[in-house]
Amino acid sequence: MISEEQQDQAALYALGLLGADEDAAFESELRANAELRDLVRDLREAAGDLALAAPSLLPPASLKQRIMREIATETKRVVPMPTQRASFGWVPWAIAAGLAVFCGLLALDRVRLERQLADIRRADPLMQTTFYTLAPSAPAPAYAKATVAWQPGRQSGVIRISNLPAPEPGKDYQLWAVDAEHKDPISAGIVRVDKNGVAQVRFKPVEKAEHVKAFAISLEREGGVPKKEGPILLVGSA
Amino acid sequence: MAETFIAQQMLDQEMIARIGRRDQSAFSALYDRMSGPLYSMAMRMLGDPAEAQDALQDVFLQIWSRAGTYDPEQSSVFSWTVLLTRSRVIDRLRARGRRSRVVVASTEDTPTTVTGDASTVESAADTAQKNDEAARVRHVLNNLPSEQREAIELAFFEHLSHHEIAARLGQPLGTVKARIRRGLLKLRERLNNL
Repeated sequence: MISEEQQDQAALYALGLLGADEDAAFESELRANAELRDLVRDLREAAGDLALAAPSLLPPASLKQRIMREIATETKRVVPMPTQRASFGWVPWAIAAGLAVFCGLLALDRVRLERQLADIRRADPLMQTTFYTLAPSAPAPAYAKATVAWQPGRQSGVIRISNLPAPEPGKDYQLWAVDAEHKDPISAGIVRVDKNGVAQVRFKPVEKAEHVKAFAISLEREGGVPKKEGPILLVGSA
Repeated sequence: MAETFIAQQMLDQEMIARIGRRDQSAFSALYDRMSGPLYSMAMRMLGDPAEAQDALQDVFLQIWSRAGTYDPEQSSVFSWTVLLTRSRVIDRLRARGRRSRVVVASTEDTPTTVTGDASTVESAADTAQKNDEAARVRHVLNNLPSEQREAIELAFFEHLSHHEIAARLGQPLGTVKARIRRGLLKLRERLNNL
């Protein structure tokens, strides 16, 4: 049972309105009270949704370019090794020798960690998700697109489509997995877009697809077909 | 609806996992999905496009470097990014000490507006789904008792403390706390039931 006072605190906490001392006290209460934690999570979601109440704006495209450049630079950035000067005498050499030993130990540790990570990846299908970006090909609108998150371990995925107008009556969009070991694309089911041209669905190919090279969406007869007949509208590899 | 919601949450969590492993394409996809609402919120709180863009840049660089710290037990990916954004915006508001000049905009439905050189087509496509959700949130928020809505908006968008809200509205502190609590609970309940 959560008291009204606790609920008040939970609401203020979710909105970040508690002072540092109150925050710490409330967090210790949270650790001991699962029901209170659930309430805070719910209230946090409500607070998150509040962001959507702001008048809708889009940032300029240049901002994304700026950010993507920044993370690309950060990824490539290499910390330069400091140069050692002989005039420091034997001390830097001793430090360097110590560092060399330490680096050797780190290298061994890294190998061990990489093995552990590989084991975890093998054990956890969530670690094996591959993303495919599907680009339009005529007759799809040039601005249509789709993203597929595919988990080979689970043989299932999620597709999100944007800006693809609903098909004409009597037609359906059908998703296909192009697998290296199958001659023909494998059907992954019908995908229906909403009035905004958006769809988001989970799918499972009708046959096992262990080496998916690409996903594609074609325009087919209503209800779908066992083997692709219609034109490809979106296609993309990982 | 629930299926879509769950699928979206799963996709978001997968994107965050990929970002944690330095996957730039997943980062790009998450940016496309989240940047509109986060920018809108930053603009409403800061009222200045340049500052809102700087705040958003900070947030996405933070997402890039801290994706590994995301905890799905604590919140959805969307709420996590909202809280990160709000925190960066509040830092900026504190730094410039101009809380009193915050632009307060209405929560009535407004069409998506593009600023500067926005890539309208691509971003609009990714924002389409969020626009539907935004319409739902605005509908629910506008149907809350006005005193609850006012208290929540002052707390969330202007980052007034409950003490400051009480002073501004001339209401006892306990009343303001109760309004925030009831309003937030109702908001959550009604959004879940839509």
